[in-house]
Amino acid sequence: MSERSRLGRAGALVLIALAALLPPLTLLLRAAADEWRSPALLPQRFGTRGVEEAFADASLAGEAIRNSLVVGVIVTLLALVIAWPAARVIGERRLRRPGPVWVLLGLPLLVPPFATGSGLAEWFIRIGIADTLAGLVVAHLVPVLPYVVLILASGFGPDVRDLEEAASVNGAGPLRRLGLVTLPALAPVLAVAALLGFLVSWSQYGLSLAVGGGVPMLPLLLVRRSPPCSAWSSSPRP
Amino acid sequence: MRTLLALAPALLVVLVLWGAGLVGAVRSSLGVSRLTGWSAADLDAYRALADDPVFWESLWFTLRITVIATALSLVVAVALAAVLRRSGVVARLLASVPVPMPHLVAAVLGVLWLGPGGIADRLLGGLPVDLVRDPAGIGIVLVYVYKEAPFLALLVLAAWGPAVAAREEAAAVLGARPLQRLRWVVWPAIRAPLLTGAAVVAAFVIGAFEVPLAIGPTSPQTLSELALSATREASLDGRATASAVLVIASVLAVSVAALAAAGLRRRHE
Repeated sequence: MSERSRLGRAGALVLIALAALLPPLTLLLRAAADEWRSPALLPQRFGTRGVEEAFADASLAGEAIRNSLVVGVIVTLLALVIAWPAARVIGERRLRRPGPVWVLLGLPLLVPPFATGSGLAEWFIRIGIADTLAGLVVAHLVPVLPYVVLILASGFGPDVRDLEEAASVNGAGPLRRLGLVTLPALAPVLAVAALLGFLVSWSQYGLSLAVGGGVPMLPLLLVRRSPPCSAWSSSPRP
Repeated sequence: MRTLLALAPALLVVLVLWGAGLVGAVRSSLGVSRLTGWSAADLDAYRALADDPVFWESLWFTLRITVIATALSLVVAVALAAVLRRSGVVARLLASVPVPMPHLVAAVLGVLWLGPGGIADRLLGGLPVDLVRDPAGIGIVLVYVYKEAPFLALLVLAAWGPAVAAREEAAAVLGARPLQRLRWVVWPAIRAPLLTGAAVVAAFVIGAFEVPLAIGPTSPQTLSELALSATREASLDGRATASAVLVIASVLAVSVAALAAAGLRRRHE
């Protein structure tokens, strides 16, 4: 590689590192700054006022975080269980025509969540689960489940199949096979599927607003209490 | 038969929940409610939208932002992947930082950096154009590129492996210049994941409102913002209008994906 292109690549990598790390860092700085007036590039005074204000209504902030956590964890676990058999069939390529299955799993990811949510809200009101955590869990399944199926499917395949067969030849029953062979073999993919499923639920805004606008959830609280456009306005202006 | 049985739980849950959502949205867009029943169905909400210049402005704004944000993300993603494929794990990890970040957080970062008195303003001693709450929606586009380009780059990287590198080398030996190699060797390999990813990004941009709500102009609004403000009108008409806008946005999002799928299939034959 020539000297010049090596330099160019190093420059590009530095840019990537800056772009990846600086913005989140400024968010931390902003949270820890009591005073950060223009044109200074660093806060004039650090302090805990931002954090205190965020938790001033401690019960509400705490409740929102707790609700988001509970819904995220339950949805993820539920999705993993429901997705499991389908993911195995798709991953082992046992379908002759996988097309329709892909379409069916893809459509909920394409249609705006606020559209699905406001449609679901109508039915949820009738059966009495609108504005409840249960309703939010059910609604969040719509985007979470397809993601979990698609990722989990990538973990199944002939390798896992062979391991399971070897285990059953050696006399392992279904439960032992699951616990000692299948789950460990799938552990990395399971972790990714669970993480992504949780994140999809954790950062869900449109869907939560539509079916559970009355339940404090973290993304809703974030927008309602401190609209992002006010990111600078709470610091005292000169 | 056993395969179908295995697929049933996941597919049924998706079909029932998503289907119910969609039917519910179409139903209320036709003005059907629990009190009136289906006999009251009409196209009033759609007709009112067709006569409303605010709706057309919003539709145009949404489409423009979707096309520009998706196209820019694609270009940045390919460039990013070209750098990353020769770099180690650390660079790849760094580049994927924005991928799991919620869109809301990315939008807040956008305001911190691009807003009046924001960090970019301070670094450069004044920005030449407004980037936050600007009627052109530049801020929205920038936040989307920051969020989606790394996501698309990861998809590209997965397809741009050693096998492609070997073919690139062969082409280089035969005298193909870098741009020719990109067009005739790399592009056929990364086309499918790139187009699929682009469809997902475009569909998301059409339907999401976190980012425009946070950093976009108060007018024009994107389709989803328009729907949100319509639901806040207390009347029943507001609900029908909101649902109609959302149904239109859904049709747009699915059409974009169908276009991408058709494009992929045509080249395969």
